[in-house]
Amino acid sequence: MFLAWNEIKKNKLRFSLIIGVLMLVSYLVFFLSGLATGLASLNRESVDKWDATAIILSEESDKSLPQSSITTDEVDHIDGKETAILAQLNAIATNGDTKQNISLFGIDKEERIMPKVTEGKEFSKENEVIASDALKEEGFAIGDKLELSSSDEKLTIVGFTNSARFNGAPVLYSELSTFQHVKFGEAAEANGDKINGIVVYGENVSSISTSNEDLEVIEIETFIENLPGYTEQALTLNFMIYFLFGISSVIVAIFLYVLTVQKISMFGVMKAQGISNGYLSRSVIAQTFLLAFIGVTVGFVLTLTTGTFLPSAVPVAFDIPTMIFYGVVLTVVAILGAVFSVLTIVRIDPLKAIGG
Amino acid sequence: MAILELKKVKKTFGSGHKQVDALKETNFTADIGELIAVIGPSGSGKSTFLTIAGGLQNPTSGDIFINEQNLSDFNEKKRSKIRLKEIGFILQASNLVPFLTVDNQMKLLDNVKKDNMSKAELEKLYDDLGIRDLRKKYPADLSGGERQRVAIAKALYSKPSILLADEPTASLDSDRAYEVMELLRKETKSNKTTTIVVTHDVRLIEYCDKVYKMTDGVLKLEEKQAVLEKKSS
Repeated sequence: MFLAWNEIKKNKLRFSLIIGVLMLVSYLVFFLSGLATGLASLNRESVDKWDATAIILSEESDKSLPQSSITTDEVDHIDGKETAILAQLNAIATNGDTKQNISLFGIDKEERIMPKVTEGKEFSKENEVIASDALKEEGFAIGDKLELSSSDEKLTIVGFTNSARFNGAPVLYSELSTFQHVKFGEAAEANGDKINGIVVYGENVSSISTSNEDLEVIEIETFIENLPGYTEQALTLNFMIYFLFGISSVIVAIFLYVLTVQKISMFGVMKAQGISNGYLSRSVIAQTFLLAFIGVTVGFVLTLTTGTFLPSAVPVAFDIPTMIFYGVVLTVVAILGAVFSVLTIVRIDPLKAIGG
Repeated sequence: MAILELKKVKKTFGSGHKQVDALKETNFTADIGELIAVIGPSGSGKSTFLTIAGGLQNPTSGDIFINEQNLSDFNEKKRSKIRLKEIGFILQASNLVPFLTVDNQMKLLDNVKKDNMSKAELEKLYDDLGIRDLRKKYPADLSGGERQRVAIAKALYSKPSILLADEPTASLDSDRAYEVMELLRKETKSNKTTTIVVTHDVRLIEYCDKVYKMTDGVLKLEEKQAVLEKKSS
């Protein structure tokens, strides 16, 4: 550390450039991770809010909630587990001023799936809904009368709940009977028992079963992965992040290799004096750690600072543990990049280096 | 008592008709407290002798003993430890680390080796070499002569058993060169170090106990007085 730190102190500009590059790479990684988390939240946050173990859908729906159609009677075929019925449809809602894609959930407010109201009150009458607070940011307010694209029914927002988006759309929660009126209109009575799925709470997915062979028990994480576009989106962003790890390692490797080559004579003299390969290698590793740590830390702070200035329309959510993990990975790959320099040092012949 | 001994040491480069005998069969002994000069023209094999004696390269044949340890028995890692413990180098190329101040050059050695000079001893060494005011400076801020004096201080700081100096006064003016030789002599005697100075400057041999002459890879002990008389004539 002694050699490493003194060299950085003496050559501030040179090492500032390396730190700057590492900072920019980490800034990009953190930002992409924020984007990945934010976009994932758009898709899954209402599902996470269920805090459930599995969901039961019809087998032919191919794990898609909107495509699944079952009846409330199926709850009787699930033994001993806490359940919650769920009906769902996608629509466009307008309050007269603003139009917004929404996902309408029909639930039983007495069941665990009922979200906690953060503003306003729970629905208690027909055609009352509580809405995702994402709608509040779009200009919707308590008391707004909503018209839905697929229905003549008018819904009234009586409360808001947080973290409630499904597959990118803010969720409106209503009583199942309200949902049936929206979906089936005058045929609501006849279709009163039609729902899309049953959310199940249990210790683990293997403990959940149904006696109806036409139904499928799907673990929640599997259900999320099968949301349209979710996996593709996550894979794309994660691929970019992993690619940046590689780039970061190569950048550090090139920088340090060039610096090491410039110092071959100096290292040779030090080796002639008996300073070991181990000491010199540790010095290079320590220097890389310092550079990466400073670069990543500055990138981390810069990312969070930038985040505070971003408009809410940008789907970025910074998950601090994930960012810390990526910061550690960036530091580790930077150190891996220094291995080339270490090998160069080990191969230096002190005799040649001192011109003997 | 011999601190450094070369027995039947040879060094050849290349093979066949391209073979060059850089060092012909050489026997050499240096005792504790001796200051020895190795003189000779450029390309005569002086540096090859010095680097073999310092364990920086292996001889083609023969054995090198430092403090009765045969270097041929050791791998590079072990030889590196012996160099750190037993040998101080003053090289033609500056042996200073460019991004360390004079003081930190010494601290670097504290990081890799114990039993270096005490603070008081270092202060005295700085005074003896006239570099006390340079302690906060970097090598790039020093003149050639100042750099060489710092390099000598660095070599002496680790209290080596053997000091190997390759043209240690090359970049110094005459007065400073004599001062440095006087200092090397003093350190050699007071610390019971063995110093071998490779030089083409015959004027410096009057400070030495023994003089060897290297001619075309052959190392031969010379009469010091005879060499000095030959030079003055």
